[in-house]
Amino acid sequence: MNRSVFTNPYVLTAPAFLLAAFIILWPLFQIGEISLSDVNRFGQLRGFNGLDNFMAVLKDPQFLAASWRTVIWTVGIVAGTILISIPVALILNQDFYGRGIARVIIMLPWAVSLTMTAIVWRWALSGESGMLNSALTGLGIIDQNIQWLAQSATAFPVQIGIGILVSIPFTTTIFLGGLSSIPDDLYEAAQLEGANGWQTFVEITLPLLRPFINIAVVMNTISVFNSFPIIWATTQGGPANSTDILVTYLYKLGFNFGKLGEASALSLLMFALLLFFTIIYVRLAMRGDRA
Amino acid sequence: MSLHWLKVAAVSSVAAIALASVAYAQTVRVTVAEYSSKTGPYFEKAATEFEAANPGTDIQIEVVPWDVLQQKLTTDISGGANADLAIIGTRWLIDYVSQEVAAPLDEYITDDFKARFIDTFLSPSVMDGKTYGLPIAASARAMYYNKALFEQAGIAAPPANWDEVKAAAEKIKALGGDAYGFGLQGKEIETDVYFYYAFWSQGGNLIEADGTSGLDSEAAYKAAAIYKDLIDSGLTEPGVTSLNREDVQNLFKQGRIGMMITAPFLANQIKEEAPDLQYGVTAIPAGPTGDRGTYGVTDSIILFENSQNKETAWKFLDYIFTTDKRAEFDENEGFLPVNAAEAALQLFADNANLKEFTDLLPDARFAPVIPGWEEIAAVASNALQKIYLGEGEIKPTLDAAAAEIDGIIAANK
Repeated sequence: MNRSVFTNPYVLTAPAFLLAAFIILWPLFQIGEISLSDVNRFGQLRGFNGLDNFMAVLKDPQFLAASWRTVIWTVGIVAGTILISIPVALILNQDFYGRGIARVIIMLPWAVSLTMTAIVWRWALSGESGMLNSALTGLGIIDQNIQWLAQSATAFPVQIGIGILVSIPFTTTIFLGGLSSIPDDLYEAAQLEGANGWQTFVEITLPLLRPFINIAVVMNTISVFNSFPIIWATTQGGPANSTDILVTYLYKLGFNFGKLGEASALSLLMFALLLFFTIIYVRLAMRGDRA
Repeated sequence: MSLHWLKVAAVSSVAAIALASVAYAQTVRVTVAEYSSKTGPYFEKAATEFEAANPGTDIQIEVVPWDVLQQKLTTDISGGANADLAIIGTRWLIDYVSQEVAAPLDEYITDDFKARFIDTFLSPSVMDGKTYGLPIAASARAMYYNKALFEQAGIAAPPANWDEVKAAAEKIKALGGDAYGFGLQGKEIETDVYFYYAFWSQGGNLIEADGTSGLDSEAAYKAAAIYKDLIDSGLTEPGVTSLNREDVQNLFKQGRIGMMITAPFLANQIKEEAPDLQYGVTAIPAGPTGDRGTYGVTDSIILFENSQNKETAWKFLDYIFTTDKRAEFDENEGFLPVNAAEAALQLFADNANLKEFTDLLPDARFAPVIPGWEEIAAVASNALQKIYLGEGEIKPTLDAAAAEIDGIIAANK
């Protein structure tokens, strides 16, 4: 067959590329258009209004508070998840009796929708009949029910805890994949040299796991930053907006208050923020790989 | 022969297209808010009956849960894919009217039709002299009290004012069981409304005559002080900011709340879920001058301006607002009758609980018809949560909220 225009690889991949670009860029373009427009609560554009929507968002004290909380939320969950998932993956990578069942148990929560998990936790955290209070009372740790969701001082840390719990299955899977790619003879050699467990972990496992940790950090950051169900189902960002993160604040702006212009502006800001951090992190991580 | 077949095929396909377009022209889509598990079946049945009586019509019912209704309607309208009819909260109606999304119904409404309604419930849907919606659901609020707890605590009569509420709550607390005197809602939708009962009883107005918020008034400070005092004295359930309306209602059903203010549909739930609970319904506690205000709420069904089948849609509206259909719906859901003939039916007229609610109707206040009400309600709820949690002093917190609300009102002018 002759080499023609139609077998050029760029031409062959063009349809898929255009489709992907359309799916990604078209909504982005629309959000951009809405964010620069005066828009009514039904999304109908009423004319160009420059950067008014962006200014309105940036001037709202709620925006700053929610941004700060989003940082705590994201860093807390991502760091907590990684710290717990590494030992869990190490244990599940050992050959022990019942490992299959243990792996299934760790993975199982993944199959439950996040909203459902959050609703179950809402019941578990109830101040009157919640499982958590019953358990703590039964163990003699508390003698009076704690109203977990009544104030941010208890609600927000608990929400971060739930976030960590639901992120563990996915992250553990990544690490199990990583561990299985480390050749066994490295460990055998280390053993012959007389390295102890900790040294093996720090000198062999951790460096070789690094690319997988990078992936886990980036993927978890993106999903946790935008994670809505846990906070919405337990407190809806309350009481008094004290557990709002950017994405719940965005939902309230858009759907409760009907400020679609400001909501579009905020989602663009969030998109830019996330893109910025991801690019920085990926660059740092890649540079580390090459060195 | 092949020619003959071709002809038949051609004629029949033309006929099919014609039929299809007739059927298409008579399709009416209805977005329905889900009040309970009975809502969907009720509307499906009404649609089937209507289609049988009006051949060639097709009524399509979409049932949407309340908490995502506003979101779905917004998305549908912005995409031009909205239904012909939809149920909305009447407090949202002003947005639909000002953006010309809702169609006025006056050309269809006859005097006979109008006379079906109790005026209190139809009037919130009238704006600038035009009727933009029909009250599909109506409710008011009254105080439920647990008769068994009252008896044990030796309380003779249901409390008529806030001092008596506190005294009764103290007696219930003194019983020492796991029951709480006064159920106070502090989370999610209507957290602000729960405060307004006390606020109105002190003579407060949500929006003052000069168009500004009434939250920075003596009435508001006093009302907040009443609730804060109940909380601090341990007369409410603990952690009020973690309980929404359903949570408090559930405690009431378990017999663990002495008094709470809520809507008539709680009686329906008690009938099904806690039939042994002994309870009574009484008026909302009055203030020092005898003022009391219940919260009147209606939901409206509206016709969209872009509907292609307004005539058929109207006929369907006419059908579901007949007395029988209304009685069936309101009995299912536990709402108040909006139709005068319906209210006279034994089912409603002889219901002592409902009588407490309907007696309060002259004192009914509706959410003010101003744009941005949802945002204003959120500001009020946040301020109240701060006060309930003890994170803010009453006066400065309410003053700040009032200033913020005034800003929202000004921005929406």
